[in-house]
Amino acid sequence: MSVSQAIAAGDVALLPSRRDEDWRWTDLRGLIRAMPPVSPASDRQFETGAFGEGDVLLVNGVVRGDVKALVVPAGERRTVRLRVIADTSETAHGTDLSVWVGEGAELTLLETYEGLGEGYLTETRLNLTVEADARLERVVLAADTAEAVAVSTATVALSRGSRFEQTVLTTGARRQRIETQVAHPGEGATVRMDAGYLLGGQRHADLTTAVAHEGVGGETSQLTKGIVRDQARGVFQGRIVVEKGADKTDARMGHHALILSEKAEIDAKPELLIYADDVSCAHGNTVGALDEDALFYARQRGIPDAQARAMLAEAFVGEVVDRIANDKARDVARQWVAAHLGAV
Amino acid sequence: MVAVKQTVEHVESLEAYKHGFITDIDQEFAPKGLNADIVRFISAKKDEPEWMLQWRLEAFERWLAMEEPTWAKVNFPRIDYQDAYYYAAPKTKDGPKSLDEVDPELLATYAKLGIPLKEQEVLAGVQGAPKYAVDAVFDSVSVVTTFKKELAAVGVIFCSMSEAIREHPELVKKYLGSVVPTSDNYFACLNSAVFSDGSFVYVPPGVRCPMELSTYFRINAAESGQFERTLIIVDKGAYVSYLEGCTAPMRDENQLHAAVVELVALEDAEIKYSTVQNWYPGDPKTGKGGIYNFVTKRADCRGDRSKVSWTQVETGSAVTWKYPSCVLRGNDSSGEFYSIAVTNGFQQADTGTKMIHLGANTKSRIISKGISAGKSSNTYRGLVSAHPKAKGARNFTQCDSLLIGKECAAHTVPYVEARNGQTVFEHEATTTRLSEDQLFYVMQRGLNQEEAVALLVNGFVKDVLQQLPMEFAVEAQKLVAISLEGSVG
Repeated sequence: MSVSQAIAAGDVALLPSRRDEDWRWTDLRGLIRAMPPVSPASDRQFETGAFGEGDVLLVNGVVRGDVKALVVPAGERRTVRLRVIADTSETAHGTDLSVWVGEGAELTLLETYEGLGEGYLTETRLNLTVEADARLERVVLAADTAEAVAVSTATVALSRGSRFEQTVLTTGARRQRIETQVAHPGEGATVRMDAGYLLGGQRHADLTTAVAHEGVGGETSQLTKGIVRDQARGVFQGRIVVEKGADKTDARMGHHALILSEKAEIDAKPELLIYADDVSCAHGNTVGALDEDALFYARQRGIPDAQARAMLAEAFVGEVVDRIANDKARDVARQWVAAHLGAV
Repeated sequence: MVAVKQTVEHVESLEAYKHGFITDIDQEFAPKGLNADIVRFISAKKDEPEWMLQWRLEAFERWLAMEEPTWAKVNFPRIDYQDAYYYAAPKTKDGPKSLDEVDPELLATYAKLGIPLKEQEVLAGVQGAPKYAVDAVFDSVSVVTTFKKELAAVGVIFCSMSEAIREHPELVKKYLGSVVPTSDNYFACLNSAVFSDGSFVYVPPGVRCPMELSTYFRINAAESGQFERTLIIVDKGAYVSYLEGCTAPMRDENQLHAAVVELVALEDAEIKYSTVQNWYPGDPKTGKGGIYNFVTKRADCRGDRSKVSWTQVETGSAVTWKYPSCVLRGNDSSGEFYSIAVTNGFQQADTGTKMIHLGANTKSRIISKGISAGKSSNTYRGLVSAHPKAKGARNFTQCDSLLIGKECAAHTVPYVEARNGQTVFEHEATTTRLSEDQLFYVMQRGLNQEEAVALLVNGFVKDVLQQLPMEFAVEAQKLVAISLEGSVG
């Protein structure tokens, strides 16, 4: 059951519901009563995105230009700006795109998800392959609109000695799910997978990840931080699997959230499924309000309350942004967070 | 060479499952299978009033409409519910007054179970033994409950469930099923229809129960299931500490144990509930046999400032599937869960807790230590939730898993749901194997590998052992060592 299947078949019954364990906090079936019609084509020209002009544009489910897949040949180094745009309202579409990073190659993939209409339903599916000793860094800025239902799923296959890094920053939507599935071969491959969510109003964001360690000597480090206020709802589901024989795996997962209002909600499920013994795995999960002591300290120094709260919130999410490897992308991400912190 | 002798004795004491014998005693059974007539049979055997029978029949109807859940991380062949006895009881005379009147076979059974002689005398109802009240449940019936008179003098009711239904119907009617509703889940529903015996405790307002209460559950009959039902009500400002122990014979077949335990704590009341679960875990080499331990345990902290503490040491059972929980309804109420779950051989455990914060300023604490060895699988699954009205809810959770060996598995699956802005939830979990350095260090001091492991494991579970009453802590420590026997080398 997936959103794409539901869109293709025009059948709401195929949408995931809270009865599906992996969607318990992101109920689409209960929200969408009737399947919206298929999105129309759009040939509009768009203003520049957060990362500038796009190299590859996916508009209303269609890839513009003659792009079949994103390919970085072995040994080469690229930066690609991928813009996924929903220029439509009350319609539905799905898109697939493959990304291949050849042996020893490097790709910085700067993705923006941009909603221009309202009430659209989309699923974007990326298939990413990272060959031996290659490196892929994804920086994702998701700015869907308040009434949108947007799902994006990335399936990542890693090879020996490769490095995969990902930072997702989002402001959510009516329902939004950003899911990443990683097949981790061990063998010196490393994964850093982070996310930050800033949710206000009645927005919802679901950050779901699964990393399957299948070989010896893999490393995974995950940090997700979120801030919710009003009646927003943040969801984190992280799963780390260490298969039999995947010894010397080192996996860390952290999820920390701040609830800044009476009615906001955080749901989290950080899972460790371990079938090997020589491993070191840990996860931490905290949910709470802003630190009263820190606020008191700031007040004592004469900093107005609102400003103190903003500072603390920025510092809180800033930890995620700091881990972005690409300097330019990190600057853009920092500005993006600052701009959207205002909304929360 | 005292040390050597002790070592030899210690290793010898590390025999496998030592409660696996069968008591050859005259027993009567209900016909095999499960239908409304069996439910009527059980109810009639227990001389129950009509309302109780109706309650059971309603539960049975609902159970028929339910489907067996499959979401736990455990695998076992489908249970044939028609291929078991739902009632088995030793044929004994009513209420033994002295040791001589208790069926000698039963006495021998308790002696063999390693219950200290004094306690054994207590168990059989002899006057003058130390004060430690016991309710002994043998298959489907409670064979004896001790110290009833002395407890009654302070107003504490401690008796078997069957007796409570006859003697205290008003309390049973009011509280039975009020914490775990009949159709709460598949196994609780089955239990509601066919439950046989268990303990009933009522502690009146302001009374601190003068002694530890305990129940010893024993499955003996073949091809039978045990469906005990325990209900503990602690009234305003009262306190009770309750212990529970369980064992079963070694058999090639799997036997089902589906219990329901309900705790009710009213204003300012406190309940401490400790379990040492040592059902037969199945053959460690083949995985054949063993008990399916599918239990629903829940406490309702109904009154303000009430407190419930669950402590469990789970070493037995082929498959364990249970989540002792606390519903923190009263303002300022608190719940605690301390757990050691050890799996070895082919054992599977999916256990943890639920802390449901409903009232303001409710607090909970979870300490879970899972140890998996052999080819076993051990899952911690837990829920911590704060509802919109639970302002100031606070939880701390720590889940540590220890892996011993290449073929075992350890999983941690916590669910956290915070639905208001004044909640502070903290959760941390680790999964590692025994530290090579620590093992090396300890062995260098002259301990063999098995002892070294036992010592380190003991350190690993110390936080939880400390929560157990003294006698149980000693027993539990030994049990953990025995359960891990053969897991290294």
